[in-house]
Amino acid sequence: MGLYSDSKYLIKEEIETVHKDHFLDFAVAGTWGNSEQRIAIASFAREVGISAGLLEETPNTFAHESNFKLSKVAKLVVEKLAISPKDILKDFFDEVINTGLSEEEYVEIVGIVSRIVDMDIFARGINHPLIAFPEPGVSPPSKVRPETAKLELAWVSTIPNFPEGGLPAKQLFGEKPPKPYIVRGLSLVPDEVTKHMELEKAQYQPLGNIMNFDLRHHKGLSRAQVEVVAGKVSALNECFY
Amino acid sequence: MEVNLKGLVDSSQDIGVPGGDELLEFSEALIGNDSKRLNNARFDLEKQLGPDAIPAASAIAANFSKNDRIANGCGIPVDDIMLKATKDIREELNLDSFRSAANTFRHL
Repeated sequence: MGLYSDSKYLIKEEIETVHKDHFLDFAVAGTWGNSEQRIAIASFAREVGISAGLLEETPNTFAHESNFKLSKVAKLVVEKLAISPKDILKDFFDEVINTGLSEEEYVEIVGIVSRIVDMDIFARGINHPLIAFPEPGVSPPSKVRPETAKLELAWVSTIPNFPEGGLPAKQLFGEKPPKPYIVRGLSLVPDEVTKHMELEKAQYQPLGNIMNFDLRHHKGLSRAQVEVVAGKVSALNECFY
Repeated sequence: MEVNLKGLVDSSQDIGVPGGDELLEFSEALIGNDSKRLNNARFDLEKQLGPDAIPAASAIAANFSKNDRIANGCGIPVDDIMLKATKDIREELNLDSFRSAANTFRHL
């Protein structure tokens, strides 16, 4: 049974499959956080979204009871990302890093919150209850930093394009064409790039088709209509990128 | 088809695509905090463009909500090639006034 099979709308199988995989993935350790921490981050993003009126509480909205408590600084980052992304400025980033959150942990939190907000907004859009979190697993995080990651032009370290980025770049981005920052932004945690691109491919369009204006990835909308929605959302979020 | 991009930031302008008003209203309501407004916007969009428009528009709005958080959260700059290509649009829509524009302009 698919995640959204009880929806009144016909949902693309690709979206349903990717979302299901991503929810199941919360039961697995990430690169810098274990499963319990990752679910706590996603669940808190929901909690603040509901408090702000951006989501509706439904049965099984929150993670199962846990003894794990998010740190104050992690909560601050999650809250800002979840409900007011336009207010995230360099000073804020510097402050949370100086407060003790590592650059790697910060990037993984950005990836997790961005993905849960994505999937929750999709559910809200089709008027479907929020998807329940799985029980947390017990494996430890790998804590492997990509060896070629370095400070380029983003606030956080990123893997440069190939060849400068070496093997990690080749594995993550391919040899060419060079990838833009929206692909590389999370590359300090390569697994988050992979997941970000899975959602991108299912929900927007396969990478590399941005100039293919004849591509119709969604049955319900033309490319022009797709860009109207994309542009409006990004304008409201005051995203210059 | 000529898309009037000013319609993205000025609701008095016709965006120029079929169902444009309904798509703009649905997008704003979906990331806003008024569930009644969202229900009305969903009803109007479905009536105008059909039921397939709802999951499609939801998927796009959700995806860009993700991308906006990644971009603003990581402080990434707009890549050079895109910065040059979007100069006119940025001026027309006053996008340079967004605070996240600093992530790009601090490098110029």
